[in-house]
Amino acid sequence: MVDAEQEEVTPTRGVTATRAAVATVAVLAVLLLGAAIGLLIKVPGSDTGSTPPRDSVDVGFSQDMSAHHLQGVQMANIARERTADPAIEQLAFDISSTQLEQVGRMKGWLFLWGFPEQSSDGRHMWWMTSSTHGHSAGGSGAGSADPEQAMPGMASPQEIAKLRTLSGVEFDVYFLQLMLRHHQGGAPMAEYAATHAGQNVVRTLADNMLKSQTGESTYMQQLLTERGAAPLPS
Amino acid sequence: MTSGKKTKAARSSVAAARSSVVAKKPKPWGTIIAVVAVLALAGTVFGYAFSQISEQNAKEEALAQWTPSEENKDPSDKIAGVVKVEYEASKHVDAAQRVAYDQSPPFGGPHDNVWADCTGTVYDKAVRNENMVHPLEHGAVWITYNPDQVSGEALDKLKARADGQPFTMLSPYPGLDKPISLQSWGHQLKLESADDERIDQFIQSLRRNQYTYPEVGASCESPNFDVANPPAFVAEAPGPDAVPMTGGSDAATQESGTPSASDAPAATSTPGS
Repeated sequence: MVDAEQEEVTPTRGVTATRAAVATVAVLAVLLLGAAIGLLIKVPGSDTGSTPPRDSVDVGFSQDMSAHHLQGVQMANIARERTADPAIEQLAFDISSTQLEQVGRMKGWLFLWGFPEQSSDGRHMWWMTSSTHGHSAGGSGAGSADPEQAMPGMASPQEIAKLRTLSGVEFDVYFLQLMLRHHQGGAPMAEYAATHAGQNVVRTLADNMLKSQTGESTYMQQLLTERGAAPLPS
Repeated sequence: MTSGKKTKAARSSVAAARSSVVAKKPKPWGTIIAVVAVLALAGTVFGYAFSQISEQNAKEEALAQWTPSEENKDPSDKIAGVVKVEYEASKHVDAAQRVAYDQSPPFGGPHDNVWADCTGTVYDKAVRNENMVHPLEHGAVWITYNPDQVSGEALDKLKARADGQPFTMLSPYPGLDKPISLQSWGHQLKLESADDERIDQFIQSLRRNQYTYPEVGASCESPNFDVANPPAFVAEAPGPDAVPMTGGSDAATQESGTPSASDAPAATSTPGS
């Protein structure tokens, strides 16, 4: 249809107009599509909190408190198996279910941030000796950077083994003693993170742990008193 | 086809002649259709995206208002009628004890060691207060209704809010002074109707709100609580031997009968503020 003859006769002005129209529409279409894509795509990082640095309180606390909590869960699970006392069983279930849930929160953060579940060099508490703004000259002295040194309140393998051999009131008392010491040992970690962590979620959880475990510690002291026992010497 | 010669002539002619030529020139239908199609496609994609986004934004804005955040720790502050009281957490009593609660239904204070199951649980019969307060400490919302005033469709609406919804429980509360009352730790909202939009606002604002419940991460599962046959609600007011609101944690002291247990109730019946 459109033969050479017609092309030859078509006014150049008409061709220019058509081309201009096509170009305008094309630009318009591209703009519309671009705008649509722009609406659908969220700028990465715009809707999530920033990732804390590897040497932050947030990372150190999440790694160390996960490990600390897991021993609490372990001892509570032993208690659920061995105790005959409903009050101890209830307490043990509360501790194991709550702390395991909290471990899930902390490990979830670590995965999101792209850090390992635990520090690669096995050191604990390093995040408590440095200030939030890099290094502090003297350090607060609250923590230990020695990989051989266990975190405060942790039961030794021998103590866990002994716990497994006991039964009756003897078991209940020793469980309460170990768990009370465990709670008290974790308190300074939670206290430090509640004030020094950079992320709001971390500060909020640490603060909550501190308060609820303080209440639980008071309760365990009462349970010990009721059983005619005292906390382990510190 | 024969127009060629005419247009040739028209090219050098006046405007009138040119218009006749344009009319005669065959339309580039292919181009027109393609252009319109591309424009329509682009317009549709944009329109769809725009409507989706604005709908989403409106929805998120409406939800965000009731979603706790660092800037908005307690969204229930914006809900009309919510009563707030500060309570000390982790105060325990045993199965034989009663607590002289300052509120009805209670929403904080000392409570039984054994918490009521709150794994999206609908209780058909009223349950002992001391067990029902404990799940609030774990972040649950407790919906109560006056069984004389709420039934049928209205009750079904409340059940839908609790049944199978983790950290939510529903139970009748005999003698409730309003048809419906919602409880979370330290918060209460009494309502007339199951259609009130504040029900969902209250639940969204306070259920498992990490800023408002004392034991973040605690469980609703309760192995030592008999869901099928829970301890029954006691309608009679607790006696003078009841654990006062300020007591409780001192379960051991209470049991051994130290003075704090006996003289406290009269002095401590004042609700918190």
